[in-house]
Amino acid sequence: MATQYDIPVGAQHISLLEPLHFKLTTENEKIVDVQANVGYVHRGIELACTSKFKFRQVSFVVGRVCGLCSISHTTAYSQVAEKLLNLELSKRAKYLRILVLELDRIHSHLLCLSHVAENSGFEALFMKTMKDREISMELLEAVCGNRVQYDYSVVGGVARDLRPEVAQMVLARLNDFKPKLDDLREIFENNYSLSLKNRGIGVLSSENVKLLNAVGPLARAAGVPIDVRNETEDLLPWKEVGFNMVLGDAGDVHARNMVRIHELYNSIQMIENVINGLPEGDIITETKAMPEGEAVVRLEAPRGELFHYAKGNKTQILERLKIKAPTFSNIPAFIETFKGNEYASAPAIIASFDPCLSCTAR
Amino acid sequence: MKLSGYRKKSPWILHYNAGSCNGCDIEILACLCPKYDVERFGLINTGNPKQSDILLITGPVTKRSRERLVEIYAQMPEPKVVIACGSCASTGGVFRPMYNIEGGVDQVIPVDVYVPGCACRPEQIIDGVVTALGILEQKTKEIEKSHILHVAPLEEDGQVNRRHMAGTIKK
Repeated sequence: MATQYDIPVGAQHISLLEPLHFKLTTENEKIVDVQANVGYVHRGIELACTSKFKFRQVSFVVGRVCGLCSISHTTAYSQVAEKLLNLELSKRAKYLRILVLELDRIHSHLLCLSHVAENSGFEALFMKTMKDREISMELLEAVCGNRVQYDYSVVGGVARDLRPEVAQMVLARLNDFKPKLDDLREIFENNYSLSLKNRGIGVLSSENVKLLNAVGPLARAAGVPIDVRNETEDLLPWKEVGFNMVLGDAGDVHARNMVRIHELYNSIQMIENVINGLPEGDIITETKAMPEGEAVVRLEAPRGELFHYAKGNKTQILERLKIKAPTFSNIPAFIETFKGNEYASAPAIIASFDPCLSCTAR
Repeated sequence: MKLSGYRKKSPWILHYNAGSCNGCDIEILACLCPKYDVERFGLINTGNPKQSDILLITGPVTKRSRERLVEIYAQMPEPKVVIACGSCASTGGVFRPMYNIEGGVDQVIPVDVYVPGCACRPEQIIDGVVTALGILEQKTKEIEKSHILHVAPLEEDGQVNRRHMAGTIKK
């Protein structure tokens, strides 16, 4: 047996946005064992939400759980609070929530793709993807008023209406974006240099997905159809706006890239359907009721299934709030995926998971 | 050109996330990319504290990341500038009352530039970085200033005793 070396990646590392620590045990360049350490950004948001903040303020606080998928957290919390209040939303508010959720998915997936390109050593593609991502950031700013941390969903509806000229701008800019996305798809699919770092690297089989409870693009790239948008219709009308499941088959880094890119096409289509078929109605439903009982909500964040549980006791302060983030479910699958790959591939594999540690540790 | 000239033209930045929500981090990333492009000021994102001049910190300092933050700060060579990016890094922000939070970055290490906003916009980050460049230049000059000593330096084993010398600098 060759000598084994422990190589740490993190907590501060050029390829990581967040403090995440992997201890990779290597044997002749091959990774044989991994330990993940994810708790650096634990802040104690759940306790603060049930002691310091009123339930209407909590939707703004949970947005700060994660800046990348802040709309997913605010929407999931708003939905769970509406369940506690027995509130029925207008269809317009639901459509507007889908609009921002999908715009957010575009920016999040493009960030992940650019990160994979950078960590695979393809700096030019990183810059190109980030340049194209600015289109989605500008649209988010036009629709919500801020580039990051939109606070668009509030308890009872959404915070802002969509003005017709902004709707036209979204459609026009997305039309400009489509040929750029075709370009990106072409590079990610066929580029030879990138394929050396991506094809056949970091394979997670569909058996392992089922065994280790992976969710999101990680599971869909292995051919397992797990998507909350496909399962629930009661809170947001996903099928109505044209949701299609995107599946890969190989389960490697390349398959994950392709799943993300094809989901972008689907997101653009859904945004166009939302804007063209936007129903009339109030954007917010007012109520004086207090939250009572227990409720659970599942929502498809860009990284997978997000789960919010809340319990109210007829006061302004909630009794319990529990958030389970997609990356938390994926950590066992991360560890399994590393094994058997070369150490030099580790940064690209980490980026292809699209880890979000501030969601996980909260 | 002397080494200090290169430092002025290409200060390297180090980014550390001390417990942020990733919002400011992706804005820093957007800053490095074509639309905002801070590389025109000669800045490059580096992962090595020993080669960096500017430390960009995002997020409130959690109890667990404090040690790492102080360690990274200590490893950076002088002169160095610290920028606190975002409301949370400046004051603790919305996370201030939470049990695992130490507060803003200035509770742990000295901060030179505060960038406000949740999340701080790329334009604000560029403004902060350019301000930091001025401070870096000032600090460089401060370090390179020659000192007048009261008495002749004390030599021990053929070496100048620096502790003795520090006490003899004329204010």
